[in-house]
Amino acid sequence: MIEFTNLNKWFGSLHVLKDIDLAVTKGEVVVVCGPSGSGKSTLIRCINGLEPFQKGRLVVDGFDLGSSSVRLRELRMEVGFVFQSFNLYPHKTALENVTLAPIHVRGLSKAEADDRGRALLEKVGLADRMQSYPHQLSGGQQQRVAIARSLCMQPKIMLFDEPTSALDPEMINEVLDVMVSLAREGMTMMVVTHEMGFARKVADRVIFMDRGAIVETADPESFFTNPQSERSRDFLSKVLHH
Amino acid sequence: MLGSLNTRVMLEYLPDIWQGFLSTLMLSTTGFAGALTLGIIACALSIQPVRWLRAPATVYIDAVRATPLLAQLYFLYFGLPRLGIVLPEILIGIIVLSLNSGAYVAEIIRSGILAISRGQVEAAISSGMTYLQRMRLIILPQALRPTISPLIGQAIVLVKDSSLLSLISVVELTRAGQMIAIDRFMPIEGLVATALAYLLLYYLLKLLAGIWSHQNRLPGRA
Repeated sequence: MIEFTNLNKWFGSLHVLKDIDLAVTKGEVVVVCGPSGSGKSTLIRCINGLEPFQKGRLVVDGFDLGSSSVRLRELRMEVGFVFQSFNLYPHKTALENVTLAPIHVRGLSKAEADDRGRALLEKVGLADRMQSYPHQLSGGQQQRVAIARSLCMQPKIMLFDEPTSALDPEMINEVLDVMVSLAREGMTMMVVTHEMGFARKVADRVIFMDRGAIVETADPESFFTNPQSERSRDFLSKVLHH
Repeated sequence: MLGSLNTRVMLEYLPDIWQGFLSTLMLSTTGFAGALTLGIIACALSIQPVRWLRAPATVYIDAVRATPLLAQLYFLYFGLPRLGIVLPEILIGIIVLSLNSGAYVAEIIRSGILAISRGQVEAAISSGMTYLQRMRLIILPQALRPTISPLIGQAIVLVKDSSLLSLISVVELTRAGQMIAIDRFMPIEGLVATALAYLLLYYLLKLLAGIWSHQNRLPGRA
């Protein structure tokens, strides 16, 4: 579903992704963690073409992102992206946020999109907030709207870029719960997060990145209990201090 | 000074002032319509990543902002005939007002667009929207709302700037006021009558701005 082959990316002279080799299969849930600045956000932003790369190959759902003729818009319809800062449209209601792209990009009728949007907002526990504007919602509610917004396009892949990092602690679980149920339904997911509970519950694999390279790949249990590399041990000792 | 104002003469010239008022109103509305059109085009060009698209907008905006309106007016008034283009004064006036105000309008709209966070654009891109869809559905509705107040300000400036057209013998409010001064040697009566008419135009614009912003309150807010 997602296949990185020897991918390299530079920001000017800064080498931010180094020889990335990674294959994610359909239905797999991959958690990406690592210290800040290690390139994990950049890695998943490459997958829907938000970031270009300079060397190597990346094929997502059959789309070759390195080729000049890639139809990025078509790819993006199949790849949902959830941001750390939600990025809901402030001038649209929750329901409008969710139905906007399905109507204008997928070409759904308003009635169809509304049905789909309502069902999704109900699913993420926001049945009573459909007509609310983003500024009237809490951070956790906004992020759940953002997840519903991505799902309403019926994507094949969902990418999450630190979806709970901007949230107050008491709101983290309501967002993680939605993500857990999504993972259990078989969605292909790549999640940049430090939420170890989430990783343990649903991740098939944990990837540890440092300074632009994938340092370690392991199943969550062995990664957290018995990390192989010095750098991941060091990182985990800082993150899992409780 | 104002106590000795000859109101009888002012009333006598009311039809002329009224004609001048209508003329200024017409010059300003057509001038501002032109300014909005030019401003939107210049702004659209100025935010393009491609340099050769951006360049003409930059040259236009800088040239207008760096030179006085009066110089621009004379430049076209005396310059166009030398190129063999002879236009009525009133048309030259409207063109100059549009060109001048358009540069400022472009900058106002551009500042509104640049204030939209990168995250909004990325969210729209990620959902597969085209450039035009992003502009129409996400960026412009958010960008234009806060520009209304500065745009009305620009319109008010344009109304007052249109008085310079009296210098190329376009009959408008200032010119009409000058006629009282010239015919009757009563410059103050002419100026006061003119000022009152400009004040009326100013309040008309303020009223329009108020109605507009009331109808376009940010949804979900008071």
